[in-house]
Amino acid sequence: MKIRSVYIIDDDSITIFGLRKLLDKLHKNLAIHEFKNGKTALDALTCLQQQNKPLPEIIFLDINMPVMDGWTFLDEFLKLSHTSTVTIKIITSSIDIRDREKWKSYVKDAQHHIDFITKPIYELDLVDLQVAS
Amino acid sequence: MKAIGIHSIDYLVKQLPHPMAFINKNFELVAASKMWLEYFETKMDEARESNLLHLWNNKEDALWEQQLNKCFKGSMEFGVHYSTDKSGKELWSRWTALPWYDEAENIIGAITSLEDIGGQLEQEMKYEKLESLLREQSEITKVGIWEYHLATDRLIWSEMTRKIHEVPSDYEPKVDTAINFYKQGHSRNTIAMLVHNGLHRGTSWNEKLQFVSAKGNEKWVIAAGKPLYKNGEITRLIGTLQDISEQVAQEIKTKESERLLRTLIDNLPLNVFIKDKDSRKILVNKAECEYLGVDDPSKLLGKSDFDLYENNVAQISRDEDLQVMKTKKSILGKRTVSIKKNGASTSFLTSKIPWLNLEGESKGIIGISMDISEIIQKEDQLRDLINVTAIQNKKLINFAHVVSHNLRSHTANFSMLLDFLIKEKEENEKERILGMLSKASENLAQTLENLNEVVAISTNVNLEKKSLNLNQEITKVQESLAGFLKQHQVKIDNQISDKVHLSAVPAYLESILLNLLTNAVKYKDPERIPEITLSTRKQKEHIVFNIKDNGLGIDMNKYGNKLFGMYKTFHNNKDARGIGLYITKNQIEAMGGNIMVCSEVHQGSTFSVYFKDEN
Repeated sequence: MKIRSVYIIDDDSITIFGLRKLLDKLHKNLAIHEFKNGKTALDALTCLQQQNKPLPEIIFLDINMPVMDGWTFLDEFLKLSHTSTVTIKIITSSIDIRDREKWKSYVKDAQHHIDFITKPIYELDLVDLQVAS
Repeated sequence: MKAIGIHSIDYLVKQLPHPMAFINKNFELVAASKMWLEYFETKMDEARESNLLHLWNNKEDALWEQQLNKCFKGSMEFGVHYSTDKSGKELWSRWTALPWYDEAENIIGAITSLEDIGGQLEQEMKYEKLESLLREQSEITKVGIWEYHLATDRLIWSEMTRKIHEVPSDYEPKVDTAINFYKQGHSRNTIAMLVHNGLHRGTSWNEKLQFVSAKGNEKWVIAAGKPLYKNGEITRLIGTLQDISEQVAQEIKTKESERLLRTLIDNLPLNVFIKDKDSRKILVNKAECEYLGVDDPSKLLGKSDFDLYENNVAQISRDEDLQVMKTKKSILGKRTVSIKKNGASTSFLTSKIPWLNLEGESKGIIGISMDISEIIQKEDQLRDLINVTAIQNKKLINFAHVVSHNLRSHTANFSMLLDFLIKEKEENEKERILGMLSKASENLAQTLENLNEVVAISTNVNLEKKSLNLNQEITKVQESLAGFLKQHQVKIDNQISDKVHLSAVPAYLESILLNLLTNAVKYKDPERIPEITLSTRKQKEHIVFNIKDNGLGIDMNKYGNKLFGMYKTFHNNKDARGIGLYITKNQIEAMGGNIMVCSEVHQGSTFSVYFKDEN
């Protein structure tokens, strides 16, 4: 599967910088869209769905964000009807076991592929991504 | 001649003024005086025909026969005759028998005479009986008798008196030595004075004194004495001495055990009471007196619960008493609440035990109650403390979570950027990464500063509160925010009276006001000029400070439970740190207050701060 479009939903500019840098190395000419919180990303996705446009192949999702956090975004996003499968990469600095448990509960019955990545992110993680896709 | 002779003797004898009889050697009555016949309640005709020994029909017959036989041989015999008459009266007689001679000096029988000695004997016996009775009585009661003759200076002690003194029967007492038997000090001084007064003033005495016997045994005695007069002059002193050591010892023992019991129940840290069948108090201890506010138990005796407590409380208690008395089963350790007439309420742990008489019937109840008001209060405090601890614990876990998350996110950024830097070859890109690193460092410093602020509040729980004029504090904050407020054209409607004072930590109140006021402006509705209304109201034990705005409002369904959380922001505002309300809430809680919010999206929010009213 060719990756064309990627969403980064994170309020931390350094993380965004890092992700952009890593993605840039792997895929030139990749469309990367940034969102500062879950709400703006959800609005954009809802818009795409209504216009029957293709969804991004990968969404990098932060948990702690203002306005709408990652979990709320996930709840809302999973409610939307989809034709394609999206890989959602939850990126968090949390080492709280409860966050991990919560992720597992989503994995079980979601049609999408949901990963859980603990910061810091190095290259290896994105190599895995390339293999998977 | 002979017949006439006998006849005439017979006639003569009959008239003798004395019970007398002539008996021949065959123990036949020959002649007898009328008094003799009357004594034996017989008639001459009957007596003459029979053997006298049969007539008397007495156990002493053998003795009679013997003695009469001796008499027939010429000796004079004596004896005592005892019999009872028809009415059962005792008859005592002394008889004398003399040999009876004929003209030829031959013994032909015996002449007997009887002398009634009943009266005399009775007297003697009475005396003997009386003496023995006295002795017995003296033995039982341990009462000795003494007598002192002034003229001869002679002191006579009875056997018991000697016994009490523990002196031999030949001991010769004197007044001064007798006084020396009394214990030195009070007892001896007293008896000396009493004897002196008896002798010189004629007063009698009766005194309980201590006494030391000749053998050194200490005793308690009752010494009594009184003077006797002859021709108006005191001639004798008589008196008694009673050994009451045993009684006194018993008395002391009883008193001691009574005192022990009383000391025990009075010093128990429990209320003890005994009630009779009608639930009237017949014994109360000190603690019960103190509880019921009286200084002497006598003020409670005879009173029932209805006299001391509110009616319904008294009725419950009375029902318990009746139950215990009826079933004879104790109520143990029951939690009760007593409400006195003045309304004061006390919690007790009460036990009621049936008080039974020797026949096993209930005669009342014994009650023991322990004031547990303090314990219950402590329990409540403990429960509160547990709640506080639980909340604190939750907060702490939350805080630890936030800290670990936030610090970790920075370190993750550092390690990611450093990784990039090491691998980067382009100078321009290296510059960019370094720029990012310094930003990450700034962020970390900011986070640490925020956390420090939170920790400072949590550790300064005991900061001193002061009574602060709310409007003065608001004015101060408004002044420091003057530029900011003016820039946003904020309208503030302050409805708070100048008299309102709050008890608060000055620095906290300032921070709270600053935060809430700033928030009200920061999250304004871009379509409207921000309007803020400040007011207060009194609610039970709190003074509530309200700050109402017409800003964006918050979706309470979505964010209500996260609003005061750490690093939670809900508006896309670049200034939002997600820590302001967290700190505000912590500061308010540190002062024992609370904060609530009421909000509607696009309408505005009202934050209500509850300050403890400590005036």
